[in-house]
Amino acid sequence: MRRSYYYFQTFIILIGMVCAFATAPLSAKELTSQEAEFFEAKVRPILVEHCYECHSVEAEDIEAGLVLDSRWGWETGGDSGAVVVPGKLEESLLIDAVRYTENVVSGMPPRSKLPDNEIRILEQWVMMGAPDPREKKEADHSHLVESFNLKKRFEEHWSWRAIGDPQPPQVKDTSWPKGVIDRFVLARLEKANLRPAKRADKRIWIRRVYFDLVGLPPSPEQILGYLNDDSPKADEKVVRSLLDSPHFGEKWARHWMDLVRYAETYGHEFDYPIQYAHEYRDYLIRAWNADVPFDDLIREHIAGDLLEDPRRHPNDGFNESVIGTGFWYFHEATHAPTDVLGNESDIIDNQIDVFGKAFLGLTIACARCHDHKFDAISTADYYGLSAYIQSSCRQLYPLDPGGQIAEANALIDPLRREAAEQLTSVDSELFQRLRFGEYFDASNALVKRLRRSKAVKELPKDWVQGAAKNKDLDAAKLERWTKFLPILFPEAKVIVDESEPFASFDQGLQGWSTSGTAFEAVGGELALSADGDLAYSGTIDSGLRGSKQVGVLRSPTFEIASDKIHVRLKATGNVTVRVVIDSYQMASFNALLFKGTLLNQKTADTKGAWRWKQLSGDLKKYRGHKAYLEFIDHSEGEIAIDAITFLAPKKQGSGKAIPKDGDAFESRWNLAISKLRSGNSSELVARMVDAGVLSIADLNESANVTITKAKEIANRLTAPRYVVAMAEGTRESANVYIRGSHGNLGDEVPPRFIEALGGNAGSRLELANLVASQDNPLTSRVIVNRIWYLLTGRGIVPTVDDFGPQGKPATHPELLDWLATDFVQHGWSLKHVIEQIVLSQTYRQSSSAHRELDQEFLATADPTNSLLHRMRVRRLPPESIRDAVLSVSGRIDLKLFGPSVATHRTPFMTGRGARESGPLDGDGRRSIYLSVYRNFLNPFMLTFDMPGPFGPKGKRSESNVPAQALTMMNDPMVVEQARLWSARMAELPVSDQEKIAQMVELAHASKPSREQIELLKSFLVSQADQYGKLDQRSWTDLGHALFNMKAFTFLR
Amino acid sequence: MLQWCASGFGAIALNALGSDHAPAEILRAMSPKAPHFEPKAKNIIFLYMDGGPSQVDTFDPKPMLDKYDGQDPKEVIGNLAPTQFDNVGKVLKSQWDFKQHGESGHWISSLFPYLAEVADELAFIKSMTSEFSEHTSANYFLHTGNGFQGRPSMGAWLGYGLGSENQELPGFVVLNGGLIPPGGLDCFGAGFLPSAYQGSVFLPNQEPLANIRPLEDNRTLQINKLDLIRKFDQDLNREIGGDAEIEAAIQNYETAFQMQTAVPDLMNLGEETEETRRLYGLDSKFKNTQVFGRQCLVARRLVERGVRFIELTCPGGNGDRWDQHKNLVDGHNKNCRTVDQPIAALIKDLKRVGLLDSTLIVWGGEFGRTPFAQGKDGRDHNPFGFTIWMAGGGTKPGVSVGQTDEWGYRAIEDRFEIHDLHATMLHLLGIDHTRSTFRFSGRDMRLTDVHGHLIKQVIA
Repeated sequence: MRRSYYYFQTFIILIGMVCAFATAPLSAKELTSQEAEFFEAKVRPILVEHCYECHSVEAEDIEAGLVLDSRWGWETGGDSGAVVVPGKLEESLLIDAVRYTENVVSGMPPRSKLPDNEIRILEQWVMMGAPDPREKKEADHSHLVESFNLKKRFEEHWSWRAIGDPQPPQVKDTSWPKGVIDRFVLARLEKANLRPAKRADKRIWIRRVYFDLVGLPPSPEQILGYLNDDSPKADEKVVRSLLDSPHFGEKWARHWMDLVRYAETYGHEFDYPIQYAHEYRDYLIRAWNADVPFDDLIREHIAGDLLEDPRRHPNDGFNESVIGTGFWYFHEATHAPTDVLGNESDIIDNQIDVFGKAFLGLTIACARCHDHKFDAISTADYYGLSAYIQSSCRQLYPLDPGGQIAEANALIDPLRREAAEQLTSVDSELFQRLRFGEYFDASNALVKRLRRSKAVKELPKDWVQGAAKNKDLDAAKLERWTKFLPILFPEAKVIVDESEPFASFDQGLQGWSTSGTAFEAVGGELALSADGDLAYSGTIDSGLRGSKQVGVLRSPTFEIASDKIHVRLKATGNVTVRVVIDSYQMASFNALLFKGTLLNQKTADTKGAWRWKQLSGDLKKYRGHKAYLEFIDHSEGEIAIDAITFLAPKKQGSGKAIPKDGDAFESRWNLAISKLRSGNSSELVARMVDAGVLSIADLNESANVTITKAKEIANRLTAPRYVVAMAEGTRESANVYIRGSHGNLGDEVPPRFIEALGGNAGSRLELANLVASQDNPLTSRVIVNRIWYLLTGRGIVPTVDDFGPQGKPATHPELLDWLATDFVQHGWSLKHVIEQIVLSQTYRQSSSAHRELDQEFLATADPTNSLLHRMRVRRLPPESIRDAVLSVSGRIDLKLFGPSVATHRTPFMTGRGARESGPLDGDGRRSIYLSVYRNFLNPFMLTFDMPGPFGPKGKRSESNVPAQALTMMNDPMVVEQARLWSARMAELPVSDQEKIAQMVELAHASKPSREQIELLKSFLVSQADQYGKLDQRSWTDLGHALFNMKAFTFLR
Repeated sequence: MLQWCASGFGAIALNALGSDHAPAEILRAMSPKAPHFEPKAKNIIFLYMDGGPSQVDTFDPKPMLDKYDGQDPKEVIGNLAPTQFDNVGKVLKSQWDFKQHGESGHWISSLFPYLAEVADELAFIKSMTSEFSEHTSANYFLHTGNGFQGRPSMGAWLGYGLGSENQELPGFVVLNGGLIPPGGLDCFGAGFLPSAYQGSVFLPNQEPLANIRPLEDNRTLQINKLDLIRKFDQDLNREIGGDAEIEAAIQNYETAFQMQTAVPDLMNLGEETEETRRLYGLDSKFKNTQVFGRQCLVARRLVERGVRFIELTCPGGNGDRWDQHKNLVDGHNKNCRTVDQPIAALIKDLKRVGLLDSTLIVWGGEFGRTPFAQGKDGRDHNPFGFTIWMAGGGTKPGVSVGQTDEWGYRAIEDRFEIHDLHATMLHLLGIDHTRSTFRFSGRDMRLTDVHGHLIKQVIA
């Protein structure tokens, strides 16, 4: 039924109409004359005057699909359903609208509120049962029925069809093509009576292929090596070396970063940081360098956290796959949204936009508020994808480079087990030997004395010393006993009446999830922590492997139904406890509107004792919202959780938990020790160890030796490395938000793929497999088209992010299919596609049309060069321009990876959230390693069209504006590099003429003509005239001029 | 400037312009384009009141606030929408006196004594609404018609629609008084439009624009360079067989060269008479009046030079912009003192040089403020009803459109939204907002999205 619903929505709407008739509360015939008169005299005039303009069949554009010129209209309602519920004011949207309360729908009429008396008439009418004598006119409404027909659209548009395996066409000129690509291109050219351009000069080709593959200029040595290589494999050797270069990934990762709106801050008012973003960038560079099959790369992006056997870093062994999921979280984010659910739905919109365009070339996000206007994508499709995101969580995932954590735990855990085993032999004389009975009695007396003397708040030292001396006890030990006595014997367990606790952990994790290595569920068996403490049964504890482990404990999603959440926990050090409401993540930066929903290092700390802590404050605002709890151990801390309740816990029991004397204590002790002997945990013993009145060594010396070994290993761990990643949350369906409004809920949709591509419901991993499938008609086409665009300047489908009906059609549809098929057959190898293209004759063409082609004929046959009768002239991207400036000057630092270099901030870059300015030359690092602060984007990059990181952008805009000239002329960075370059050249022991030739070759990869050398020489002279002598300044000017020439900034 | 052009680079460039190469289409990005219909105005000056001025303390007096001052708003006003800081205090009356001014009888509070003198030039809209009660989203919405980052700003849309009458200055200039609004430079971005249309942020000093100052010791040194570059570029272009992109890039160097002179000329206020300088408050004892006075005076000079869209941002140091969550009296006093005299001067000055009719002035913030207090002495954000005004540029002087409820809380009569403001601004410049579209992301995008109705009552 669900399936047919999406295909035949039209039909369902008609059925809906019939149902509405059947249940109509009143029909015209039953109306009394007074009722009919009231409607005609009072109600109808209001509707006609204020509503019909937008809500009648005569309206030019019917708003919200609602008509009010018939009873059928308000009974069926518009997008939000029936607008009048007879007899019920609060449920009638019409009343919500005219009162301007805006609980569900906007105030109506939109311009001005109705006069009070007219509002009262409408209220009265609804309370009367909404008598409406107007006859139904079904035929009149036929045109209102939505015409969205997914199946029809699916059948009509080319990109939904399976990818063919076309045979290369026949061509007349069989000598020109070198490979299959060339035959497809030539066939189209021949059909248009065109011919390809001549081969590009070797220098032009090598410069082209260097910038396209690694984004750097070829050095004079590399040029020379190629020019001197006469072998037929010369081109292939160059291409091979570039594909194998570690700088290949630095060029190509950046293209992918445009698609996932890579950024290192969240933008908005304070531009808060997106921590660890650069780890994702480095992951991409490694992945492109390693030529990770593209289908795997997609799986890693969508569900890398769910892969059973994730890809691991070849040397460091950490999980690479999970890093891919970080792309979901490069969205912008604001703090303190007054509407947190709306905020979440906006973020999901952005995430779906990236998902749809980057992998599938689909504008799925267009279906957020209504079925897609043009494509075979329904609103239900959009919310099916939304359900995946709503069923997931953002997590900080600790990497484990070199496997140091795993290695340590492989030693720590057996040692802990061994020590527990050893602990089962407890010295039976211990109670007497350590004089527990005497300490107990003495401390109990002190506690009682303290209680009696109300004026004394703190235990006076002389009391302790006196008592110790009296009984011949150790004063320090007695003080500890006295201090911790009430804790050793807590009052009867606090419980919650009338409701089960939200979590108690007596049965382990119970649907909660963990990441990292810190958290462990403690059952009834005896267990030690690596720090030499005893674990408490029925808790989740992050400290059992020592305090340096990191991890997250996450609850299932629940609906907030109380003003407070009570958590019984024990915490020290750097931990966080928070309730994540509607996925909102910014409270840790700015608590505004979310005060009390987060406990941090300061507020969560219980100094190692068990306490009830509350999440409260603003929590009360979010009743009815969905949320989950998160406990985070950031390392250098630990937290254990015992119970969580929504209702305030109440004390139960007599409150007389302390044994009456040493003998009574001894029988409690004996019970506890017998538990230990049988391998079970004892809370009393655990508390005594925590209180420091008993040690593991006291219990068993060899257990102490064993656990000390574990502690040493645990303490050697170094700080973890994190990535932002996705994690599974509680699986849930999503409600369609009617017209995109989360206050207006429609049908539920389970997590599922879009109907046009099967509509299968399943896990996120299954979704990833469907996207990364060779049967998916879009995925492989979209990526080979992107590569074609990046290497030739125009996609076969020019709208690289939109393969839908609103996109432009393919110029070479068969070539596109051939490339996609060949790509999949070669194991989804990106390098394979790139190699195929750059070694083709097509790519090898000169950028000047063939001399025998008539200009006028060209102007009609292929005016925009869409058929590729020559190579396109392309301006270099800003990353390449800057990298080339640094390469030529000699300043470049080709170091790979690592945290980004702070953006250099000019006096023009002010505003909130501004960070400290970085170095003018970015430390010589390649541009991909420069920071991307949303509110302080690098002006050099922006001027040359690096996109702002807001949505997916597969094709950058190509502007050509005076600001670019001003940048190259006057930007201090460019001028400084020219000076560095001239200083470097000054040291060369060669003639001026030779120096000039070398500089031209460095900058343009070309050999200057004799005339050009003369021009440059005379330029040196005229500059020297101005300076008074020929020195480095003139050479700096010459270098600066070379940077400014189009031969530098353009590829031909 | 012409002297430099007459010899050297400029001369060569001018010759090239006369050559038979067709200028690249890209180059025409900023060249003037025909409007959809006869425009009323040619330029816009947007006086952006960052942070959200209080409507009930400036132009929208509400006696009910005096009557119920100090009472619980939930009881006397009723259901309140969530506020940004969720710290709702008592009903708070205005601390300033309101009087009617001019023949129009506009209500203006004692915060704006200078503006009151030109009351009859103003057209008020007292029923403006926004969709956001948070600065950044509201700023993006006000500037770009969308609450997200990264969409084209209204100045960019105007440049896209009309081009500019001055090729030596950007078509969209932001005169930065010191405060870049929350949301940053993206309030002035080109979004998906070509970057040529993005706003250029001018600082109020001798080097107002990035990279506008040549670094060479003298002009000849730079001209020699540009001559050399041009020769090489032309050779390259000839070799390729004439490429539109290369040609446009060559041409850009000519424009850039001229901008180096045109921009500093613009900022040279020494050319203005002492009387004019005083009019704008450049001699004011209050430093921020001087700052904003300079901005307003430069705005007039930009209008004279044909720059299409000019936005003024606020000077710092008056409290947190207009965003008086507390200390309302002190903050609003300072903010008004900053802008009042300069704005009145701008209106008078434009009128006397005959440019007011062709220059649309728009005054407003991203939202208004609550009629009840935040804490004791502040007001929180209120997007449900606030006041903006327009002057000149084909607006109807002296009118007042729309009303808020008796508290000044929600607009209830002639409610307008930001899309309507945008539609009206475009209309006054001869652009039909439904026809000014740019294909992006599979859709024909508009400044007004799928919304927008003209505010006909303010159009003359």
